[in-house]
Amino acid sequence: MIAIHQFYQRFNQLRGRRVFILPTKFGLLYGGFLLLILLAAINYSNSLGHVLCFLLASMGQLAIHYTYRNMAKLELVNVYTDATFLGQYIPVHLTFDNPTQHDCYQISVSSKQDTSRSWNPFKNLTGYQYYEHQSMTHLAAKQHTQHLISVSSSKRGQQKIGQIRISTRFPIGLFNTWSYFNSDVFAMVYPKPEGILPLPSPKRAGQQSVGQVEKGVDDFSGFQPYRPGDAIHAIAWKTLPRDNVLRTKQFSSTIDGDLMLSWQDTTVLHNIEKQLSQLCLWLIEADKHNIDYGLTLPTLTIPPSQGPSHFHRCLTALALYES
Amino acid sequence: MKANPLMPGNTALIWLMLSLSLAAAPHFYYQPLWVASLFFAMIGWRCLSLWQHWPLPNKQHRLLQLLQLTIAVGAGLLMINSYGNFIGRDAGTALLIVMLGLKVIEIRSHRDYYLSCFLGYFLVVTNFLYSQSIPTALLMFIVVILITTALISLNDKQQQLSQKAQLKLASKMLLQAVPLMILLFILFPRISGPLWGLPQDASTARTGIDNKMTLGNISQLIQSDAVAFRVNFDGDRPQAQDLYWRGPVLSDTDGVTWTEHTFPTDSLDITPTIINQGKRYAYTITIEPHDRHWLFALDLPESLPTSLSSKQSYTGELLSQQAIKQRQQYQLSSTPQFQLNPNVEPLLVDALSLPLNLHPKTVQLAQQWRQQTADPQVLIQKALQYFNQQAFFYTLSPPALQGDVIDQFLFESRRGFCEHYAASFTILMRAAGVPTRIVTGYQGGEFNTVDDYLVVRQRDAHAWTEVWLAGQGWIRVDPTAAVSQSRIEQGINNLLPDNLRAPLLFSQSAGLIDIWQQLRQNWDALNHAWNRSILAYGPELQKSFLANLGMSNPNWQIMAVYLFAAFSIILLISAALFLYQRDARDPCVVLYQQFCDRLTKLGATPPLHYEGPLDYASRLCITFPQYQSQINEITQQYIAIRYAKKSFPLSQFKQTIKQFKPRK
Repeated sequence: MIAIHQFYQRFNQLRGRRVFILPTKFGLLYGGFLLLILLAAINYSNSLGHVLCFLLASMGQLAIHYTYRNMAKLELVNVYTDATFLGQYIPVHLTFDNPTQHDCYQISVSSKQDTSRSWNPFKNLTGYQYYEHQSMTHLAAKQHTQHLISVSSSKRGQQKIGQIRISTRFPIGLFNTWSYFNSDVFAMVYPKPEGILPLPSPKRAGQQSVGQVEKGVDDFSGFQPYRPGDAIHAIAWKTLPRDNVLRTKQFSSTIDGDLMLSWQDTTVLHNIEKQLSQLCLWLIEADKHNIDYGLTLPTLTIPPSQGPSHFHRCLTALALYES
Repeated sequence: MKANPLMPGNTALIWLMLSLSLAAAPHFYYQPLWVASLFFAMIGWRCLSLWQHWPLPNKQHRLLQLLQLTIAVGAGLLMINSYGNFIGRDAGTALLIVMLGLKVIEIRSHRDYYLSCFLGYFLVVTNFLYSQSIPTALLMFIVVILITTALISLNDKQQQLSQKAQLKLASKMLLQAVPLMILLFILFPRISGPLWGLPQDASTARTGIDNKMTLGNISQLIQSDAVAFRVNFDGDRPQAQDLYWRGPVLSDTDGVTWTEHTFPTDSLDITPTIINQGKRYAYTITIEPHDRHWLFALDLPESLPTSLSSKQSYTGELLSQQAIKQRQQYQLSSTPQFQLNPNVEPLLVDALSLPLNLHPKTVQLAQQWRQQTADPQVLIQKALQYFNQQAFFYTLSPPALQGDVIDQFLFESRRGFCEHYAASFTILMRAAGVPTRIVTGYQGGEFNTVDDYLVVRQRDAHAWTEVWLAGQGWIRVDPTAAVSQSRIEQGINNLLPDNLRAPLLFSQSAGLIDIWQQLRQNWDALNHAWNRSILAYGPELQKSFLANLGMSNPNWQIMAVYLFAAFSIILLISAALFLYQRDARDPCVVLYQQFCDRLTKLGATPPLHYEGPLDYASRLCITFPQYQSQINEITQQYIAIRYAKKSFPLSQFKQTIKQFKPRK
């Protein structure tokens, strides 16, 4: 028994993923034409008619092998996503490995979020984004290939990428073979940045309001060598070719104080999602103005700072906010 | 304007048009000119649309759609004009070609494209209704490769394969498909057709022996090089002068034309009395379609063929139940010596009747002989001597005869062909009171030394006579032999003028004619083998072939079982060949993997996908400080081999890995 079990396990290992294959509607049409040719050949007792029919039949059989081989050994080795705002598409970076010695052509890649099991076996076949013709890739032999697909974001928070489906009809389109990869990767979806409230004034630590926000915020005051953590949009790219030193543009500001973006300031909106959207918009504006900013939510407070990682941290807090 | 994502690419369209043109090309030989013009006009339109951006009929160009409709209606009218309908072989093919042409200009999606490809296959099949020769088969393979290339090109949307690579892939697929094709061809249970009625024009009318003979008929046939039938003898073959292939027997005449005797319908079942004597020859005849009922046999066969339903008429003709519209094979055995109706012959009256008041001089001559003797044997000899001793010449181009043709031939022109001698001999004998009739058929044939069989061509057509002698029955008398012995002994080939023996280019010298004849023999042998084994492979041949292979009592169930078994084996082999991949990894990667696995067993996390060997090594060094030096050594060697153009010997790396045996 154990031996059989081991053998079965080994067999499964060798077999790898489940790969499905079915004729396309053109494959069925091809079969119909073959039948027609066979009938004509029988009716006219035409020997070459038989030959053609059998030749096409065995070409069709061969097409199964070719189509299957074009995809069967592919592996999805890595998936990662970029964070995105609700309403935008989530870029999903896929790395495929083609360990075989032949190129794989016309692999179409699609994804489906809803991976719940259903009584309906055909449900598995539907609901994919980029179902056909759209997202095609060519995987060279013995290489890793990166492929980018975009998945629409459905709601704020962590969104599951779900099932990745690869399929191909190459070389002659009579058969469609497909296979699934289940990825447990999540994409971070920030709230949609929108709102009608103006950006609050920066405050001193002691809740003191300082006037004159609008003027002088981005007055250029000079360069400073780049330090990790500096905002990317502040990097002085144009000076880079001169001496190969990465510099950051410095802006003087009349505001010398931190901007605290607070949940309290948005309560007039009376809707959690709208409040989060407003805060998100503010964060983006504050990030552009190159000032230190912090975030106060009912559940947590992020002290003022700046830079991409801080920006991301604040947005993540909004994305994951639950009242 | 938004680009249509389903529109097939330009390369794919060009491949498709190329393959369709090639598939349609053989049809233009017999189709009316307008079919070809229309087809190529449509192809040209699509090409100009590809290269010069000509507009095509679509929703943006309503006028062009109207034009397309007009063309379609016009083509329909032309078709009614040419064929009268849309059914039948010629009309159906014309319809298919016109439809394909019109389809080509409105291909807008993959669906249209696939449909055109599949119709292209069907166009190849219609071509087989006209010709199943070897060149046609080769054309089929080329067209299939091209259509497959077209399909590959369609599915290779970004054209990552070059056109040459697409063609190569298609050819490779075709070659790989051949074994299974052969298997299916041999084992797929054949059903004898037709399943439904064949259209009237299912086969082309051929030239051949007619059931009536006017002087000058047969000499037209000798212009034809076409094969009438081919004969394979089992064992010995008869001598040339015995090779009389019996066809229609003609006994009625109006003085100019000879026709078959019309039997009253109730006497059709009378069977002739045939006594076969002497040496027996068994043979197989492969007859070319001639659209008539008669089957040719070496004189009188011993029994009826088994492979097709037939009967033997009272005059000894072998008649098929159905007209020979396709190439057929039948097996017979004959003896050159035989007696036909030796004792009773109800047709004697007909074999003595003469047209009223015609051929006065001939009749007069015969009656003179009759007054000298009443012995039919002597009378026959007298007539033959007359042909032999008077200045009669055997010629393939006899002068045209006017007035009473027999009299004029016998007493004035004296130049003639077998039919002249047969007809005048018959008149002479009948006038002298000896029952005589004309037998038409073929005499001789060309022996093909390449594949050991006899080819009988239309030019071997011959006419001879039979006289009835009491107690001996119908005896063959060939008056042509009295004039030209060599026609009978050496066949007609040597008597032919050079321009009929070889084409102009070769007919200049005897050596070239020999080369030509040799080439022709080879080609004919190939064709005969093709006809006998490939084209004739139907239910009967399949059974006998499989029985020869050792399958006892082959029927369709057994064939299906064998087919299934053989198919499974082929499938297994091809699947194994396709899917078996040798471990193609770099051996140094395999060794490095062993190293990683050993450490993983000891509890280290295996290399992460973003982790290079150096990072992995530094992580390992923290986990296993005791192996630090070895880990670093292996990593350095691995990097040298894998990333620095193999600057380190692999064997040594193998050694290092082998020696590395970490323990907890």
